[in-house]
Amino acid sequence: MASCCRRWLRGCSWRPAAPSPGPGSPGCTGPCGPRAAAAAVAGAQMSCFNLVKSLRSAFPNMYSISRFHHTTPAVCCYSKTRSGEKYTDPFKLGWRDLKGLYEDIRKELFISTTELKEMSEYYFDGKGKAFRPIIVVLMARACNIHHNNSRDVQASQRTIALIAEMIHTASLVHDDVIDDASSRRGKHTVNKIWGEKKAVLAGDLILSAASIALARIGNTTVISILTQVIEDLVRGEFLQLGSKENENERFAHYLEKTFKKTASLIANSCKAVSVLGCPDPAVHEIAYQYGKNVGIAFQLIDDVLDFTSCSNQMGKPTSADLKLGLATGPVLFACQQFPEMNAMIMRRFSLPGDVDRARQYVLQSNGVQQTTYLAQRYCHEAIREISKLRPSPERDALIQLSEIVLTRDK
Amino acid sequence: MSLRQLLKRLTYFGASGPPRRPLDTISSVVSWRGQSSRSPAHWNQVVSEAEKIVGYPTSFMSLRCLLSDELSNIALQVRKLVGTRHPLLTTARGFVHDSQNNLQLRGLVVLLISKAAGPSRVKASCQNYDMVSGIYSCQRSLAEITELIHTALLVHRGIVNINELQSSDGPLKDMQFGNKIAILSGDFLLANACNGLALLQNTKVVELLASALMDLVQGVYHENSTSAKENCITDDIGISTWKEQTFLSHGALLAKSCQAAMELAKHDAEVQDMAFQYGKHMAMSHKINSDLQPFIKEKTSDSLTLNLNSAPVVLHQEFLGRDLWIKQIGEAQEKGKLDYAKLRETIKAGKGVTSAIDLCRYHGNKALEALESFPPSEARTALENIVFAVTRFS
Repeated sequence: MASCCRRWLRGCSWRPAAPSPGPGSPGCTGPCGPRAAAAAVAGAQMSCFNLVKSLRSAFPNMYSISRFHHTTPAVCCYSKTRSGEKYTDPFKLGWRDLKGLYEDIRKELFISTTELKEMSEYYFDGKGKAFRPIIVVLMARACNIHHNNSRDVQASQRTIALIAEMIHTASLVHDDVIDDASSRRGKHTVNKIWGEKKAVLAGDLILSAASIALARIGNTTVISILTQVIEDLVRGEFLQLGSKENENERFAHYLEKTFKKTASLIANSCKAVSVLGCPDPAVHEIAYQYGKNVGIAFQLIDDVLDFTSCSNQMGKPTSADLKLGLATGPVLFACQQFPEMNAMIMRRFSLPGDVDRARQYVLQSNGVQQTTYLAQRYCHEAIREISKLRPSPERDALIQLSEIVLTRDK
Repeated sequence: MSLRQLLKRLTYFGASGPPRRPLDTISSVVSWRGQSSRSPAHWNQVVSEAEKIVGYPTSFMSLRCLLSDELSNIALQVRKLVGTRHPLLTTARGFVHDSQNNLQLRGLVVLLISKAAGPSRVKASCQNYDMVSGIYSCQRSLAEITELIHTALLVHRGIVNINELQSSDGPLKDMQFGNKIAILSGDFLLANACNGLALLQNTKVVELLASALMDLVQGVYHENSTSAKENCITDDIGISTWKEQTFLSHGALLAKSCQAAMELAKHDAEVQDMAFQYGKHMAMSHKINSDLQPFIKEKTSDSLTLNLNSAPVVLHQEFLGRDLWIKQIGEAQEKGKLDYAKLRETIKAGKGVTSAIDLCRYHGNKALEALESFPPSEARTALENIVFAVTRFS
């Protein structure tokens, strides 16, 4: 029954011409304003709503569907009654709790060795968007409100935001050495400035600081949840080293790698703050599922942007993933249409001309569209999950965020 | 092919030739080349006795996770490095080569001190832990975690700086690949350590070991900075700075692990502190002993390069004053190349070696003092024997 319903839902958002988040709508944080955003969301849901209304009479036990639609109207109404800029932008809403985030992280990295300290602090300069910490604090508030209408964020929950950002950064530092990357966030990478040996140590230092902060929270469940992330990050990199011969396995392999490298951190951080804020295991699961789905969608769109962003903005493609020998979503989908790509995938685009040819195939195929559609499905799943929580500005911000994930263009 | 089989094969390849760095990643840190050339069997004896006391041989403790994990395929990746000059190969080979000398010293010490302390005098709050050979399973787990952390950083020490490579190092892509595997293997070991820590369900222990890791990273950083200097001239540091840095790179992990082992058995702060002191001083004297080996062995292999930031040399410099020391280095150079044999003789003629021996014994005595608060037992005797083995220079 549930799968039948899903097919209906899929049916209504499948048409590439009319996806719910269009280029200029939800998540657009500027002059578009909340009403256009809410209207667009509502509009998309309306088409589903009509379809599903007829379903509901046929399947009266579609509990999850009816709950979904009880909550979405609330989204629209809620944004209207609570006007005011501060509730429209999830990032602004989240940042209220994250003031001093980078200073606090730097305090955790307080060591006497000057150069090592400098290296470790390098990416905590306040210039990042802090996507993960924002999700974490919004989730913390959403869970706290859901549990007992508490309008506070516990100090330990805020610490999780720091830890998530630190673990993420530590993995970036190591990844940059592994990929021999020269620039990140508009500046030189740690390995290019100080060398590979020291860069690896800086990554280890950040990780150890994150672990100390984690231990100090004093909650063994939370420690278990977040150490899982560390293992997943490493396994994700190993998955990337290996490859699958079988086409069918390749996609599963890709999704597993995507989960481990990107989504696991977000999913488990969300779960950790929910554990700290609320004793209900159902809420922990909701938080985890939201984080996981948003995380996967985030990475899928990232992989799409590797093909599309530069040709729009810079006029010159980078195809960073192809150059690393990685076959991401768009490539795997394109391969279904152009089996000639199989050989290139298996040799990891190592021959001269492979990267360009692969890129051409992808752009000719509907690989990008299919990957985007898949990301949409994950986002919808995320929204479906988070909508189970009690309405709050933070919960709505999380809904908005998952749409922002889809529409960003770097 | 399992990792164990692979490692055994590596000893026969020997393709990479002598280590290209003055400091073999292993020898500076862990390898124990025997107490002195006159009684090489003594150390082995001490260790094998100790292993009997704790119930099983502790070699390969940290590698168990690598051996049993098919997903990571680390063995396969390391195999690709055979024939290259990447230091990771030397590190991997060291695990087999030195296994007779029991590389995994820290784990053994943690197990021994757990046994020596026994159950807490306070009402046993870990009755639900199973005890085998007088050691709780959580303490055994901790010993393994300690080795994992140590090995992870050992592997991470072997990363090479790409822009310092020369054509004699071989193809760039081999070195890059080696770096990749080294980083991932080290991270894998750390991830396993973190998981192990989480399973202990004790946040204080997690904090202790995490801070030990932070100390270790800083210690390795200092080591790297010094060995990278041009002409390998000693840093301008005195012995007290040397002690601080050596505590970070060698003492912290063992000291804090010993303390954590006590915490797991719910011993009070005093006992924890004594365990910490033993770990710290024993590690220091072990390091100083290791530093002294080139100066006290009868037969000196001339090709062996000296670590100019080892205890005897730092002390020698401190006695002489920096300028005179730089002058001596200059005198030992022939056409810009350092004659290590000559330099060794110069240092032996000074006061550095004898005061290093004194320092080693000083730390050994502090370690023994810390042990006095533990009740007499086989395990305590084994810990004492380790100190005796490490401070014997006759």
